[in-house]
Amino acid sequence: MVNPVLLIAVPLGLAFAIPLFALFWKGAAKYIPPVALGFNLVVSLLLLGKVFENPVIVSIGGWQPPFCINLVAGPVGVLFSAIIALVGLLVSIYALDYIKEGATEKYHMLYLLLLTGATGVVLTGDIFNLFVFFEILCISSYALVAYLRDKAGIESAVKYLIQGAVGSSLLLIGIGLLYGQFGTLNMADIAGKIASASPISLFVPMVLLITGLGVEAAIFPLNAWLPDAHSSAPSSISAILSGIAIEVGLYAVARVIFTIFGASGILPFLALLGILTLLVGEMCAFSQNNIKRMLAYSSIGQIGLILFALAIATSYGVTGGLFQLLSHSLSKALLFLAAGYMIYRAGSMEISALEGMGRKMPLTCLAFTIGAFSLVGLPPFIGFPSKFLIVRAALATEETIFIVLIGLALLGTVIEGAYFFRVVQVLYFKGVKGNPEVNPERREAPAAALIPMFIFVVLIVVVGIYPKLVTDVLNSAATEFLNRLDYIRSVLG
Amino acid sequence: MSFLDNYIYYIGAFGLILIGLYIILVKHNLIKVIVGLGILDTGVNLFLISVGYITKGTAPIFSRPGIDSEHMVDPVPQALVLTAIVIGVAVLALALSLAIRLYQHYGTLNLRKIREQRW
Repeated sequence: MVNPVLLIAVPLGLAFAIPLFALFWKGAAKYIPPVALGFNLVVSLLLLGKVFENPVIVSIGGWQPPFCINLVAGPVGVLFSAIIALVGLLVSIYALDYIKEGATEKYHMLYLLLLTGATGVVLTGDIFNLFVFFEILCISSYALVAYLRDKAGIESAVKYLIQGAVGSSLLLIGIGLLYGQFGTLNMADIAGKIASASPISLFVPMVLLITGLGVEAAIFPLNAWLPDAHSSAPSSISAILSGIAIEVGLYAVARVIFTIFGASGILPFLALLGILTLLVGEMCAFSQNNIKRMLAYSSIGQIGLILFALAIATSYGVTGGLFQLLSHSLSKALLFLAAGYMIYRAGSMEISALEGMGRKMPLTCLAFTIGAFSLVGLPPFIGFPSKFLIVRAALATEETIFIVLIGLALLGTVIEGAYFFRVVQVLYFKGVKGNPEVNPERREAPAAALIPMFIFVVLIVVVGIYPKLVTDVLNSAATEFLNRLDYIRSVLG
Repeated sequence: MSFLDNYIYYIGAFGLILIGLYIILVKHNLIKVIVGLGILDTGVNLFLISVGYITKGTAPIFSRPGIDSEHMVDPVPQALVLTAIVIGVAVLALALSLAIRLYQHYGTLNLRKIREQRW
């Protein structure tokens, strides 16, 4: 039996060991994150088979819950930690060759810390511990956004830091209010006692928690930092921020709403907020000329769709939301990775500068195209089954509000298709007519970048063709979210 | 006056939180905004401490003789605050180092003049 503590302890220890390794051999730093994340991926996959029946509860320090800090490795936690380890591993392989400038050992250390924080957030069963891991994630991502030390990066990092710090303070006030009422920090214990409290005294902590976590999750009125931060960071970091960080924020929001508060009254409001986020994100993305900003806004849109799907709160809805989350993680990470080398070769982030890239870097452009088609939701790719499940779940509720909102979501998808197809058109068909006989020299991305992109493409296509591979896991994860009594019982015994 | 006696810490804590938020929202100078973040953090920490405080409380040390457990304060919020202070210091240090970089790039700390990134 593997212990879930290793998922946090090993990367955390290795992260702080990186500067020591770098003292002796500077090149060693970049090989440590792939090793640590590969280990995490193996442990997560080993655990994934075992946690279906009953979640693994680890009590730290030998006390029983609710008196100790505990880890809850249920289907949700292990699923998320597997996604984090998978995307993190592939992106860290990409970074082997991509990150050359600056203090590289600091980059790799912060990168590993970011993913440790993310893993901690999804595994912990203690709400203050969640705050601590959340801060590890946030602080390392502030620093990584500013990694290139250019004008745009520093400015975005300052914005991100100020908004993120206010968000975490609100989160901490919410935690303090909950502790004041219930005298416990264990999420299952709070969830068990919450029925005895008056609704009005729960409203303020809930709003504070959702607002605080919503800043990191980039829910609509709180997402002003996202396009700047995601577009100014190095591309490998953009991939992690878009593919992991905001998903972890959404996980925390879902955990607070479903498990801790069991609040069904707020769900229609969140569905509305999700669709607003979706439309705002897609419309802003449509008007961008900068490819990374476009991808960043598209992330906002996707987050909106996931939030909407989670807010449906039926078994299909939450499964669809988690499926969309997986599909967004894989596709958006792939898009940012492919865009990274396209920008590097073109020397500009403008979409118009990418004309004719389809012939200069055919493999990278193919990867970009597959990622784009998958996000839009075209059939053979992973985006199709996930969006299909969400539409089906919304229609199955037979409630007017969800049916109207899913109509708006499909409108958002049409806009999404429009701007992604425009980029694909620029890549392959623009700038070719004028000089058909000229054969531009081909300069592909290096192998360390192509291999992770290839693995992403394979995953996107395979899961897209055969969604049954993941639906069982997603289903049991959705059950954990929706069935809070089982969660409470399994933790408190 | 008993209202004040009972709630003075909460009033002070939320006063500090509101002052901090006001500074962050209104001030143009990045250093002042960072000071605002510091005040906000302090307010939150004071709030957490006052959640676990009882009037005329003592430290919860059981090994010392002659102390009854009724007057002991709750130690958990103090442990939380210790962690929160450390996190707050890390954020402030990072913010100040970013402020130095920002000044090197723009020659100003006025956030209204630094607006290259926009929607």
